[in-house]
Amino acid sequence: MNKKNKVKLQKSTYGFIAPAFILYSLFVIVPTISSVYYSFTSWDGISPVVRFIGLNNYKEILTSARFGNALKNTVILTIFISLLENAFALGLALLVDNVKIGKNFFRSAFYIPVLISGIVSGFIWKIMYNYNFGAINTILNDIGLGNLKQDWLGNNKLTLIMVGLVLVWKGAGYYMIIYLASLQSVSTDVIEASQIDGANAIQRFRRIIIPLISGAFTINFTLSLINGLKVFDQINVMTDGGPGFTTETLVYLLYKVGFNEGRQGFGTAVGMVLLFIIIILNSLQQKFLKSREVQL
Amino acid sequence: MKRKMLALVLTTTMIMTAFVGCGKKAETNNSKQVDTSVQDESAEAGKEETTDQVGEEKSIVTEPTTLTYVFADGDEGAKEAMNEIVNRFNNTYKDVTVKIMPGNGGAYSELLKTLDSVGEFPDVMEMRDTAAYIRAGKLEPLSSEITALFKTTTEFENAVYTAPLAGENTQGIIYNKAYFDENGFTEPTTYAEFIELCQKIKEKGDMSPLVVGGQDIWHMGFWFNKAYNDQVISQDPDFIANSYAGTKDFTDATVKATFEEMKEIMQYAQDGWTSTPDAQITTFLVNKMSAMMFSGTHMFSQIEAADREFEYGWFPVPSPDGKTRLVGGAGVGGLAISAEAAQDPNKKAAAEEFIKFFFQSENYKVYCEKLSAIPVTVEEPTIDVSDVFKEVIEATNTADDLCSMWNGQVGNKELPPDFRNFMYKTVIEVLQGQRDLDSACEELNKTWKTCMESFNPLDGTGIQ
Repeated sequence: MNKKNKVKLQKSTYGFIAPAFILYSLFVIVPTISSVYYSFTSWDGISPVVRFIGLNNYKEILTSARFGNALKNTVILTIFISLLENAFALGLALLVDNVKIGKNFFRSAFYIPVLISGIVSGFIWKIMYNYNFGAINTILNDIGLGNLKQDWLGNNKLTLIMVGLVLVWKGAGYYMIIYLASLQSVSTDVIEASQIDGANAIQRFRRIIIPLISGAFTINFTLSLINGLKVFDQINVMTDGGPGFTTETLVYLLYKVGFNEGRQGFGTAVGMVLLFIIIILNSLQQKFLKSREVQL
Repeated sequence: MKRKMLALVLTTTMIMTAFVGCGKKAETNNSKQVDTSVQDESAEAGKEETTDQVGEEKSIVTEPTTLTYVFADGDEGAKEAMNEIVNRFNNTYKDVTVKIMPGNGGAYSELLKTLDSVGEFPDVMEMRDTAAYIRAGKLEPLSSEITALFKTTTEFENAVYTAPLAGENTQGIIYNKAYFDENGFTEPTTYAEFIELCQKIKEKGDMSPLVVGGQDIWHMGFWFNKAYNDQVISQDPDFIANSYAGTKDFTDATVKATFEEMKEIMQYAQDGWTSTPDAQITTFLVNKMSAMMFSGTHMFSQIEAADREFEYGWFPVPSPDGKTRLVGGAGVGGLAISAEAAQDPNKKAAAEEFIKFFFQSENYKVYCEKLSAIPVTVEEPTIDVSDVFKEVIEATNTADDLCSMWNGQVGNKELPPDFRNFMYKTVIEVLQGQRDLDSACEELNKTWKTCMESFNPLDGTGIQ
């Protein structure tokens, strides 16, 4: 290809990129950059007057117990769902991969919760968890285990975990598909060779399958980490951040102070800190998981 | 060349698609109006039917005018009443059409903010967070002709911006009358009697004494406001102003007493109260799972809708010092006119006429009856309400103290925007034992100081 054609190709390439680039810039990059500015203001989200207050919002973040509590909740929830979601998804993928009959049925059945919107799944589980009328406590009562009844969304020691379980239930099917695709790409030659060498099922899983699907681990852990950090729908519907501040995460704090309590400037500063945390954690995780990937 | 052309066409199409929703405001409104639910259609239909009959009505505008109108439509009664009054108005005025925009159910304050930020702020609206919108210059002062319609209005920097829809939602105990009669329980006349009554019902064990919708923190606000009035306001009506001035703070003994009163009362709430939404409390009452609820008069219609046969009574909860302190009188919320709409003389005239029409006795009566609302107009409508509701009106007339909710005050008593929720959540933390009283008060102080850095009506911070 001569130089003239190369330049022509490059120009048309830019042309194809342009629509996505313009839209992405308009709706993601520009608001993100303008958020940096708003995070240094005390804007209430309504008033045309935007007052610059320097680093005050960030100083408040460092000293605020509410922010500390939201950060703690976010970390707990993210670790909980990242680990459980991946463990559960891998288990489901192995089940679907090895099942002889009804493979498609199981794959679809496990994937269905993914298709339900976050808001709807939140409502469904909120009703299930209801202390007085919910299915869980009713079943416990009916089978004579009434003493195990709990206020699942009202007990401050349980609520975050119960929200986490809903997220795992809803998200595992998605990660299962990625694990399944990865499992199905593992060459049967390698498996057969290991069988000939006398490796048992556990050895095969630990020494061959896990290293070969480590790319899927990287993707799934990255996605579940990011999803865990930005959980919103279920918390909004099921607990509204409560009881008290028990399930208030960083994203929920951002929403509450920014949109509900008229402190858009502070909310934006929380958003900036969250962005920074996501970038740092994601980079660390990528570095760690990539180093463990095996290329065939 | 072909590729270039294709890229150009794609880019143009994508950009055009992205901006398709960003036309002129009027265009946006029109397209929105088409799918603005059945309410609008019925309003329009009614108008077509009767315009000819009432076409002689004096015109108040020089050209056909459309007003957008939004209200908190989370309550069925509110929806029905507003639709009815808007229909009547549209039928009466041939040149003016009031279009109802959907009010987004429960998240009404956020809806208003969203409409404002996307340039679709309604011409007339039920206003919440009034002070913030007034400061932002979004509202038009009401004419003296309108303000004269009301017994009391709330002034804000020498002007009135809202036409109060009703007296503040007076809260009291709504109880299962049949259960009280069966067990020989009577309405308590002192705070001690009230606690004794709760204890008796608890000991009886067939239902919880109280049902509390603690999942909705604004519901917790009902109880908090009662305890706060009993303990703090009874001692220092200017507690918030003094807190701004730094002469009082939230470690004050009266604040601690507020928490103690809450603790005493909440031990009689049903199991699972923290995860019970307000929407479920009627179910508890009518299904004999709880004997009493503490809520506003808006619950009357909900109880009747849930069980027409259910017999209920009402009493105010006396304060520990023997006085009766109730929420009541005109608050700072109500119908308001957008400042932008008021720049158009036709819209301004139409909006003012709509508000006047709304509060005409025969129309206002619909609102008061549907919502069990206490009338606030000078010319009171004759409303067909239950004896229980008459009891509430009587109680507000004879109460020792009648004022707005603690978070509905203006001037030096106005709360920083984010403090109310923080207080309610802290109360829940204390009630659940997650936090002790001293650390809760310390945390409230810290938050108050932080809030004051961005909002303090005494020195004008966050106001100018």
